[in-house]
Amino acid sequence: MLTPFISIHHRQSLVEKTIFYSEIPSSVDALRPTVESAIAALVAHGWIDEDRSFYAHLCLEEALVNAITHGNRLERQRKVRLQIQETNNYCVFRIWDEGQGFRMDAVELPDTQSPGGRGICLMKHCMEEVTYDKTENCLVMKMKRKALSKGVSNHE
Amino acid sequence: MNEESLVVFSEDSPLTIGRIQAASVLDAINVDTFGRDLVEYVDNRSGMHLLLDFEDVDYLSSAVLTELLRINKMITDAGGSFRLCGLNYDIRKVFEITNLDKLFIIYEDLAGACKKFKRSLDIEAQQHGWDDINPNG
Repeated sequence: MLTPFISIHHRQSLVEKTIFYSEIPSSVDALRPTVESAIAALVAHGWIDEDRSFYAHLCLEEALVNAITHGNRLERQRKVRLQIQETNNYCVFRIWDEGQGFRMDAVELPDTQSPGGRGICLMKHCMEEVTYDKTENCLVMKMKRKALSKGVSNHE
Repeated sequence: MNEESLVVFSEDSPLTIGRIQAASVLDAINVDTFGRDLVEYVDNRSGMHLLLDFEDVDYLSSAVLTELLRINKMITDAGGSFRLCGLNYDIRKVFEITNLDKLFIIYEDLAGACKKFKRSLDIEAQQHGWDDINPNG
């Protein structure tokens, strides 16, 4: 007898497809090939246009740099994992580090003289949604198809 | 190891032009080289007026913004000024999102930037001269 209902979670997991996965050491040297490969996967699956990859590149770099430098404190043996999945409506980026986590709501746009802290601001401006899953130490970003190809005028 | 400089400097008195030539991508990987090139040139050159040209840069990340802030402080603390030109649309957007378009004076192309920067320095010099003559306003 067929089960008439499929749980929401099961239904979602049926349509989430991984289009990219990479594990990298905590070194900025590992950034470029990973970002370039991730961008290629996004283009190949129709999430961004090849000639409009600026903001996807930016968000990926900012997220990975934060994981490497703040999450894993540049300790090379610690790993950063990047997973990109697609659903019907969203492309979902997950970035795991091995650090202590952070509070997304505590991060604000720094004043103009502050030396850092702009990465999160840029990600939040570009992406549909940016959250932090504390249970998994995982940054989650969501993007709609071709949203970043149009630029980032008044997203927030 | 002798790394290629990313910024090439030239003089167009009273301005110094810094052209970012060797990389179209400024990111976390080459930001240290970028910063070093600027610091080495700016250090011990008090009162300089630096115009940094981004004409050949297609992409930059927030790590570069941090370096620009550092250089700006070095130059202005030493009595000089630091302005930018040649930013493409997307890079300009990064400055707007992070409110740094309110801190930096950003011109369009290099030729126009040179004229306007020089003109503004002339005006400042005239104003200082007037203030010296009439200290009480």
